[in-house]
Amino acid sequence: MIAETPAPPPSFRRRRPRFGDAGLRILAGAAAIGALLLVGLLVYKVTEEAWPSISEFGLAFLWGKEWNAVTGEFGALYLIWGTAFSSLVAIAIAAPVAIAIGLFLSELAPRSLRAPVGALVELLAAIPSVVLGLWGIIVLGPFLQQHVEPWLADHLGFIPFFSGDPSNVGLLPAAVVLTIMIIPIVASISRELFLSVPGDLKQGSLALGSTRWEMVRNVAIPQVSAGLVAAVILGLARALGEAIAVSQVIGGGLSFSISVFHPADTLAGRIASQYQGSTSDLQTASLAYLAVILLVMSLIANVAAQLIVRRIRRRMGVAH
Amino acid sequence: MELLATLASVFAVALLVIVIASVIKEGAPALSWDFFTKPPAPFGQTTGGIANSIVGTLLMTAMATALALPGGVLIAIYNVEFAPPRVAETVRLVLNMLAGVPTIVIGIFIYGLLVVGSGQSAIAASVALAILMLPLIARATEEVLALVPPSLREAGLALGSTRSRTVIRIILPTAIGGIITSAIVAIARAAGETAPVLFTSSIVANVVSTDVHGALGSIPLSIYVNSESPSVHDQQQAWAAALVLLAFVLILSITGRLLSLRTRRQIERMR
Amino acid sequence: MKMKKLTAPLAAVAVLALAAGCGGSGSSDNNGGGSSTGGKVSVLTGAGSTLVYPLVSQWEPDYATKDGITITYGAIGSGGGIEAITGRTVDFGASDAPLSPDQATACKGCLQVPWALGATVVTYNVKDAPDHLKLTGQVVADMYTGKITSWNDPAIASLNPGVNLPDTKVTPVYRSDGSGDSYVFTSYLSAIDPSWKSSVGASTQPAFPTGTGAEKNSGVAAAIQSTDGAIGYVAISYIAADSLHAALLQNAAGKYPVPGLDTIAAAAAAVSDVQADGSIPLVNPPASAADAYPMATYTYAIVPQKSNKAAALKDFLMYAITDGQAFGKDLGFPEMPSAVIDHDKTEIAKIS
Repeated sequence: MIAETPAPPPSFRRRRPRFGDAGLRILAGAAAIGALLLVGLLVYKVTEEAWPSISEFGLAFLWGKEWNAVTGEFGALYLIWGTAFSSLVAIAIAAPVAIAIGLFLSELAPRSLRAPVGALVELLAAIPSVVLGLWGIIVLGPFLQQHVEPWLADHLGFIPFFSGDPSNVGLLPAAVVLTIMIIPIVASISRELFLSVPGDLKQGSLALGSTRWEMVRNVAIPQVSAGLVAAVILGLARALGEAIAVSQVIGGGLSFSISVFHPADTLAGRIASQYQGSTSDLQTASLAYLAVILLVMSLIANVAAQLIVRRIRRRMGVAH
Repeated sequence: MELLATLASVFAVALLVIVIASVIKEGAPALSWDFFTKPPAPFGQTTGGIANSIVGTLLMTAMATALALPGGVLIAIYNVEFAPPRVAETVRLVLNMLAGVPTIVIGIFIYGLLVVGSGQSAIAASVALAILMLPLIARATEEVLALVPPSLREAGLALGSTRSRTVIRIILPTAIGGIITSAIVAIARAAGETAPVLFTSSIVANVVSTDVHGALGSIPLSIYVNSESPSVHDQQQAWAAALVLLAFVLILSITGRLLSLRTRRQIERMR
Repeated sequence: MKMKKLTAPLAAVAVLALAAGCGGSGSSDNNGGGSSTGGKVSVLTGAGSTLVYPLVSQWEPDYATKDGITITYGAIGSGGGIEAITGRTVDFGASDAPLSPDQATACKGCLQVPWALGATVVTYNVKDAPDHLKLTGQVVADMYTGKITSWNDPAIASLNPGVNLPDTKVTPVYRSDGSGDSYVFTSYLSAIDPSWKSSVGASTQPAFPTGTGAEKNSGVAAAIQSTDGAIGYVAISYIAADSLHAALLQNAAGKYPVPGLDTIAAAAAAVSDVQADGSIPLVNPPASAADAYPMATYTYAIVPQKSNKAAALKDFLMYAITDGQAFGKDLGFPEMPSAVIDHDKTEIAKIS
């Protein structure tokens, strides 16, 4: 008798989903598929726009030095250089600063300060890039030209990067603007990473007599190092793709110079400044080719960061 | 070490203060009733304002939200409620890829798709902005939906409701604060973007227009154009527009943050 | 129901946006190339030359009072204007540089209608420099190729006796976008300096060997204002508007005319032949035109011969070459010679 617990009517479980159930499932599933299709369509369309240039130049475009609309010679080398240089300088300054801020906001700051300062740092990320660019043109550029670049040229002029004449546009203002953009991104991810370090690990280290800094250096940072790498990669990806603020302060240079004072250009900046006023179909396609290069770079960076994050999550799942 | 970390944080806050202070100092003097109600003046004249850009930004952001919000919420619902874990991870990967696409590339994409052959339009620009907003809304909504305690879902199913009904009648209303927050944050981001608008809605007349089939001005675009002008008047217009944009974006960001905190606390209480 | 509370505002936003869109300025067809009924046109969209932009921006409010047609003009540079009209993303293009044979083919039946007469002016920013520095085309070419690197170079000093310029470094500023002013400037340098012609040539987007790039006339003017030692070229309206110095270029007759209404008109008077492609090049007029400014230029409206906005285009162009010319006086655009206006009228009649 006891075994005869009344089971729910069989029809309850096997019942066909009512229209409402299927409807939302289908709609939501369609939206998800739509997102996948969107990415695919984007990659396809941009590649299609770039195709005349891809078929004309092939991979040699990547190390082509000419960008000449008259002769129809286009090459991305100096733009790749400008992009790499400005982004790497930016991340070199921003990463340690941002990680330090992440530490400050998670471990080192007095509790009452953590939320407000954290909010302020995130507000830095909310500043639209065009506003940073405006500030860069009118405030930062002249400041660098009149005070910073002469100092650098006088004291560090033997380094080729700091040779040349001070200018209010160039790689240096662009790198500074990019640094300002990257700091909040890396800082907020770093803070979350440091907050995720298991409390008992931290307490254990402190109980064994290490100082705060030793605990951070020996326990916290190694624990989250992979995540920090992912955060830096994401910051780098942001810098690579920035078109507007960079185009405002970098000077649109067509020739190459090792000096950071000199006008230069980046992949994204070149697209922003020339696409609308392009004078030939090949030039338009070449600018789209630059976009393809940017797309590949950003996709690689994003996927790399995500794989790292996934591996961390898996490792954390196993450790616990 | 603590000193360095403190210095770094002071440095970041100082940057924020410097930039905001510059914008306020340069932009505030140029604010006036005319600034908000008149379109730009012809070349060489110094009356005029950014009324057409303000109208354009409002319209395009509204349209972009109308496109991105349903889509983003639906994707989040799919990931949290219906998708097998592997599929959900793939969708999340795709969303992150979409979020990582440089906005200038999105601009070129929509230009090739919607502008070539038919001309610029605010609708095309809104589609570009919607693409930008979609992953932001989807990711944030997914986080909030995941926070909703499973007990709510189980209760709904136990009462005989279908999955869909449970989602629509119980889960979404619970998470509505978080959904609105995600929309607010995405709007704040989209309102300040120049690159998606640069090729899709940039050739605009110096009149206030609400015709979305044509190009409409936008505040970030007017800042971009005026920032590169030699005329002192144009630069002042740029600063003032930057002040308006910054105020709008910062107020939205702060509101979003407060709302998000409140929603989280509400949901935590339900656990 | 909470769900209704969510959908209602969303729906309202969407409806508002769409309603505003379809209401709005109530026109049937606002973009070039789209399909159209025979409805009344209320917007003409154009894009291109920043040289003519100051003039067009004066036409916009005035023309709107006449026929209720709003002119939307995007100053994106002549090169961009040509691309835009070729792709029919606008109703008309504007360029100071005439269409090349390839561009003309690509444009599929476009007319070039000279609709204003202006000039490109060399300008500079050097401390203690006089308001009008005398330069020759060769000296300017040498500055742009890097052969002359400082302002106290003897080549400059010999042209300007009594003027002591500092040893500031010369920074050439050029247009990085597709520019009719670049075309005029490099055409002039090519006419004067054969080595320039073979190395850089004349085009809307030349590969300048050295210097700083800026977009649009406004960008170049801004770059010059903020760089001590800069030399550059801008359209004539920007000289007065931004308080820039105008360099005096030596013309073929050996004189140094001040760029202005008279000297530009003198150049136009000296060259009256319309070329086969519809262009009238005014750069470096012959020595017989003693007072001609050597970098004057016509600027062209580029319109498709077949357009579904033909009536509106014709009306606007007729306005531009007749009533519109009056606005040019304060901006450095003399009235076009009547022979050119007559030529224009024939061309405009071809639009259908």
